[in-house]
Amino acid sequence: MHQAIPYMSSHNNNFGNINENYYSNKKKENHASSKGEEKMILNMVSENAVIVIGKRGCCMSHVVKRLLQSLGVNPAIHEVEEEKDEVIVARELESIIEGNVQFPMVFIGGKLFGGLDRLMATHISGELVPLLKQAGALWL
Amino acid sequence: MNSPSAQFVSSRRMSVYDPIHQINMWGEGFKSNGNLSASIPLIDEADLKFDSSQSEDASHGMLGTSNKYEQEANRPIDKIQRRLAQNREAARKSRLRKKAYVQQLESSRLKLVQLEQELERVRQQGMYMGGGLDSNNMCFAGPVNPGIAAFEMEYGHWVDEQNRQISEMRNALNSHISDIELRMLVDGMMNHYAEIYRMKSAAAKTDVFYVMSGMWKTTAERFFLWIGGFRPSELLKILGPMIEPLTEQQRLDIDNLGQSCQQAEDALSQGMEKLRQTLADSVAAGQFIEGTYIPQMATAMEKLEALVSFVNQADHLRQETLQQMSRTLTIRQSARCLLALGEYFQRLRALSSLWSNRPREPA
Repeated sequence: MHQAIPYMSSHNNNFGNINENYYSNKKKENHASSKGEEKMILNMVSENAVIVIGKRGCCMSHVVKRLLQSLGVNPAIHEVEEEKDEVIVARELESIIEGNVQFPMVFIGGKLFGGLDRLMATHISGELVPLLKQAGALWL
Repeated sequence: MNSPSAQFVSSRRMSVYDPIHQINMWGEGFKSNGNLSASIPLIDEADLKFDSSQSEDASHGMLGTSNKYEQEANRPIDKIQRRLAQNREAARKSRLRKKAYVQQLESSRLKLVQLEQELERVRQQGMYMGGGLDSNNMCFAGPVNPGIAAFEMEYGHWVDEQNRQISEMRNALNSHISDIELRMLVDGMMNHYAEIYRMKSAAAKTDVFYVMSGMWKTTAERFFLWIGGFRPSELLKILGPMIEPLTEQQRLDIDNLGQSCQQAEDALSQGMEKLRQTLADSVAAGQFIEGTYIPQMATAMEKLEALVSFVNQADHLRQETLQQMSRTLTIRQSARCLLALGEYFQRLRALSSLWSNRPREPA
């Protein structure tokens, strides 16, 4: 259902980094209107072939990002800045996440994929690249 | 003095007077140039000579001058007596040497027991010993950390069990063992590796720097350290030749595995680099103000918490790599691979030992 169309996803991947800056700035300006933001995160998840949501300055997020980039993926990044943002994000993503929210988390093809653990395990077993291709994050 | 030669004297031993006398007389009889009178003094002489030959050094004086016949008659007795005396002396010396040696052994043993006790006592006080569990690389890293002391003790047992498994695997591969039994050995070794990672994870929670620096390992092992353990891609390169022959598919799979490892390692290394930078920044931005809360230190502390994750992720990578290897290989190949892996680390440990015990030129 959330299979990204190649054109769309490449379009969004380019936007991914822009989105990152946009949303971080927005957070700084306006904490009150969380409703708009909530939607945004869900939208981001569904609109991007690959998106990484992590805490700002977290080195593990950096690892996730680097790994995906080394595979030729240009993932969207969303940084969560403060404690309460975490809560907001968690609440919002409840609809698509079971259990606790653990950062960093990776969404592939609009679905929660997992954390660094799962990313590494599937990469080692050779299953990650086909999955990314399937989601339109990678081309041959 | 005229001494009739006695060529015919037998070579048998003479131990008693009478036969000698008889032979003397016989000798004289044969020789008979009519010197019967000569025999008597000879007998007397023989007696004299024989008496004096009882003492050890008399025989020396005898040999040159006396009746050869009598010499040979006396010599055996001299010889015997001399030999007996020498034997007694030698035996006595031997006993003394043995006694000295045993005393030396006893005192060395005592010293060894004392050293072992001291070692145990020091360990239980929670002092760290660098360089694995050999005493050549002691570096004391601080006061008591029971978690680490426990880890070190467990690690000693882990290595013993590892060595046992390696021997078992070696024997199994040399004999005709069924695939089912071999699988059990392979699973056993894999579980054993899982065990060390569990141990490391627990230890990292009590002292992450200890685990990051591989303090429990031997020196040569530590030389190859990457985030608290071995680098999976490096190991794949080493083990590769040992699992030949491979099918084309296997070769491809192993190559891909190597590449994936490399990518994962690089990502983790870059994450570590970022951690170092941010940590350095936090510490550099700090201030020392007496009695005030220093926020930058708090940030730095938070950063250090991330190290625990790195250790866990690196170990996770190691385990996944081992498992993927065993999925790609046949059971027999997996067994050879695990054996090679175990032996490789055994050799590294041996190398560490050899190196630290090498004879050094005095400066």
